[in-house]
Amino acid sequence: MSDNNLEDFIRQHRAGFEEEGPRPRVWKELERQLKASQPSGKVAYLLKRHWLKAAAVLVLVVNSVMLYQFLQFKKQQQDLARISPELQEAQVYYSAQITQRLEDIRKYPPEVLGLDSAARKELELRNETFQLLEKELQQNPGNERIRSAMIRYYQMKLDLLDKILEELRAKQPPSKTLNNHEREI
Amino acid sequence: MQEAFTNNLNPTPVTDQLVARCKKGDVRAFRELYDAYSTAMYNICLRMTGNVTDAEDILQEAFIQVYNNIGRLAQAGSVTAWIKRIVVNQCLSHLRRKKVYFEEVEQVEVEEEDAVDEEGFTWTVSAVRDAIQALPSGYKTVLNLYLFEEYSHKEIAGMLDISESTVKTQYMRAKERVRQMVKRQN
Repeated sequence: MSDNNLEDFIRQHRAGFEEEGPRPRVWKELERQLKASQPSGKVAYLLKRHWLKAAAVLVLVVNSVMLYQFLQFKKQQQDLARISPELQEAQVYYSAQITQRLEDIRKYPPEVLGLDSAARKELELRNETFQLLEKELQQNPGNERIRSAMIRYYQMKLDLLDKILEELRAKQPPSKTLNNHEREI
Repeated sequence: MQEAFTNNLNPTPVTDQLVARCKKGDVRAFRELYDAYSTAMYNICLRMTGNVTDAEDILQEAFIQVYNNIGRLAQAGSVTAWIKRIVVNQCLSHLRRKKVYFEEVEQVEVEEEDAVDEEGFTWTVSAVRDAIQALPSGYKTVLNLYLFEEYSHKEIAGMLDISESTVKTQYMRAKERVRQMVKRQN
């Protein structure tokens, strides 16, 4: 008998060497593990397979929103510079002054300040009056009356904030708030 | 391209569509894939380990790997060879954990047997199966991979990280031992 006989025998009786399949418990345990490892269906599958793409899209969206906001802001500044360069200079000055006063006012506790939320909102720089004037100016760039109104708005706002600060200082001296800005003002 | 692998107990053809569904994480599709391959793959595990519990554990681990990695399978047509390789690798890892070493032939002391008188020699399935299971693990692995799983000597050498000539020598010696054991049973 040659060496090849074992190989021939196995080839001819291959099916006879096969046992029955695994017990059902194997699939049950396998299924349990598969379901436990699945985070949450189709979305999870897609995220698993495409997480890098999803992350890239998210970064793009965030960047796009930020870029849009930046461009909008820049456009407003450019519009104002184009419409009225003098007014833009005034706006930069008054905005800084008003912002500083508002910061000082915010340092006082509400019980000392004595203003409700509507009044505090009205004190903000970009309140409804400001937005209305800004819109009018964009629609009528050559209108001197609107430009004057805008400057007047800044001045009145600054005067008002100064008066409020004076009253607040009278109620509570600057030393109690330990505020350097107030001392400078 | 369509894969038409079947096993003896569950003649379910495995199609590209089924593989595509498995890639999407469809557990029901994976059950179909499991049904198509589990018996054949379980038999590999059983031949390699000789132990039902070990074979089932290895099969389970292997199919978890199949499920987790089927998305990387480039061609659905190669699914049979791919699953089989995962199962075989899992078996080999199991054997290594059990401290089975696949040594170069020079390091293995082989007891030379006398030539067997082949007159009146009869092969039977049960005798051959018992003889193979009685082989030392290293010999059994080489013989199973070559005779039943139909890997080449070169492929087996790569899997076991030994030389091709060692695989050939171990295979010849394994076969000789099987023949001697079956002869004794005759």
